[in-house]
Amino acid sequence: MNHPFPLLKHLATLLGKRLAGLVTILLGVSLLTFTLYYISPGDKALTISNARYMGEGDVPPEVVEAIREEFALDEPFPVQFWHWISGFLQGDFGKSLVSQEDVLLIFLPNLAETLELAATALALGLSLAFLLSLVSVWKPGSIWDRLAVAFSSIGAAVPSYWLGLILILVFAAKLQWLPSFGSGSLEQLVLPAVTLGFWITTSQTRLLRTFLLEASEAPFIEALRLRGVPEGEIFRRHILRHAMIPAIAMIGLDFAALLEGSIIVEVIFSRGGVGSLFVGSILSRDYPLLLFLVLFAACSYVILNSLIELLQDWLSPHSLQGNRPSLTGGVKKS
Amino acid sequence: MSTTTEKLLTKTDRNNSALKALLLFTLLLCLFGAGLILTPYDPVQADFLHRLTSPSASHWFGTDHLGRDIATRLLYGAGWSVGLAFLVSSLGAIIGTAVGLLAGAGQSWLDSVLMRVTDSFFAFPELVAAIAIAGILGPSTNNMILALTLVSWMRYARLVRTLTREISHRDFILQARLNRLPQWLVFWCHYLPNIRMSLLVLWTSLWSRTILAISGLSFLGFGVQPPKAEWGAMLLDGKPYMQSAPHVMIFPGVAILITVLALNLIGDHLRDRLNKQH
Repeated sequence: MNHPFPLLKHLATLLGKRLAGLVTILLGVSLLTFTLYYISPGDKALTISNARYMGEGDVPPEVVEAIREEFALDEPFPVQFWHWISGFLQGDFGKSLVSQEDVLLIFLPNLAETLELAATALALGLSLAFLLSLVSVWKPGSIWDRLAVAFSSIGAAVPSYWLGLILILVFAAKLQWLPSFGSGSLEQLVLPAVTLGFWITTSQTRLLRTFLLEASEAPFIEALRLRGVPEGEIFRRHILRHAMIPAIAMIGLDFAALLEGSIIVEVIFSRGGVGSLFVGSILSRDYPLLLFLVLFAACSYVILNSLIELLQDWLSPHSLQGNRPSLTGGVKKS
Repeated sequence: MSTTTEKLLTKTDRNNSALKALLLFTLLLCLFGAGLILTPYDPVQADFLHRLTSPSASHWFGTDHLGRDIATRLLYGAGWSVGLAFLVSSLGAIIGTAVGLLAGAGQSWLDSVLMRVTDSFFAFPELVAAIAIAGILGPSTNNMILALTLVSWMRYARLVRTLTREISHRDFILQARLNRLPQWLVFWCHYLPNIRMSLLVLWTSLWSRTILAISGLSFLGFGVQPPKAEWGAMLLDGKPYMQSAPHVMIFPGVAILITVLALNLIGDHLRDRLNKQH
């Protein structure tokens, strides 16, 4: 420990390790994504030309050949992969086959729409989960605790698409309080956000409850109590903070849940957004768009989780010894 | 975890609920068997004289838009939803265990290669990857099984690798090595019996998750195709009629809910027992 800034050096090594791991995973992820495209059945040149000249009858063979040339479809796997990934590295994500627009230009407005939905759902879902877990740890073992646990157990078994349909049936069809489809206004946001938020609540309540219970059982809490620190302060300043460290890790899992949930919710409520864009791109075989979306989902998930792990490393030095579950992360040496 | 917390968790969450869950599951199985034998209806044969009838004595859960008995379809659908999920989670368990054992007990270069591959697969949110694979290969039951298996084995691989590393320096493993036991025999007789309980816990939880995934994929049109009576496909089938005949979508959802809940509770119970052992 003769380094002048041991903490900085420590952080630098951490960052270096994470970055190296991240780059390997991103490479693996893009290889897998491209393999998906590579093994897809059917003549791709024909698919592409059909998508591009939709409704114009049979495409002349010369055009198909030109497309084959353009997308390097006859080349071996590594060449095609390089052809594809080099565009990404230069910030050129390709054009949609259907609309001939830049993939990025199609993607960004949809992302904004999904973010709006996801943020609302996250705010709703997490605050309810937090409330429930607080009720639950307020008097562990009481009837309220049991109710909260039962609610989250049953909720975790509810398929979200079914919940969405039930909500449409009750609030849109029978009561006619809220619209059942479309996006743009606040009323149209309510039902989708509740559906997605419910998913978050049920997955988080029990975890938060466990974290809070574990934190309140920690030996240092007893020590604080013996020193005469008021209960309220113990709870606010120590138990809550202590429980937040593992809870941060759950944000990463939430993100995946939000991505997956938004696919289903956006389809059910006929909203725009990344999820419905994704399903649409599969149905129309719009490969550039599809590959971009898959890669986006995986990369953002990996990068987010790496950031979270870094944050956790930073927050709790003792976690370096490796008792912490790894979400995406590097291989743990034991 | 301290003992008080554990007691609390056990007391409120589980003890008797696990028993109830097992009972519920057994009851479901009995109902399933009895129903299959007793039902007079066919799950696919249309009956246009009795379209969208409400639940009644002759059609307990009503009929769908083609006049098919929903209760009968739910019974047959259990084979698709629960059975396919069983198949997928088992396939995932086999692949994942093999990868995990090789990574945990093999050479270190093999370990890092296998774990990089696992990490890369793990980076895709499950449903996103499954929809993409099933959609690109073409919507069918086989492609869905392939897609879901491809996204399910990584959890097993991670778990098995960690557990394998933990026990690989224990005396009985060294003893077996010194006795020149072939590697597969060491895996089979010494590693697997020590990790099977953890595997079982994971397998149960993935089974119920897969039921949700299968019905979700089928609901989106990427999984089991109508007229097959998979529960998610039934929801998709009934969606256009749900305003006039809500029963076509309520019962399949309830079937999924109850099954997944029962499996989750059993899984929780198994996890508790595992935690108590350690």
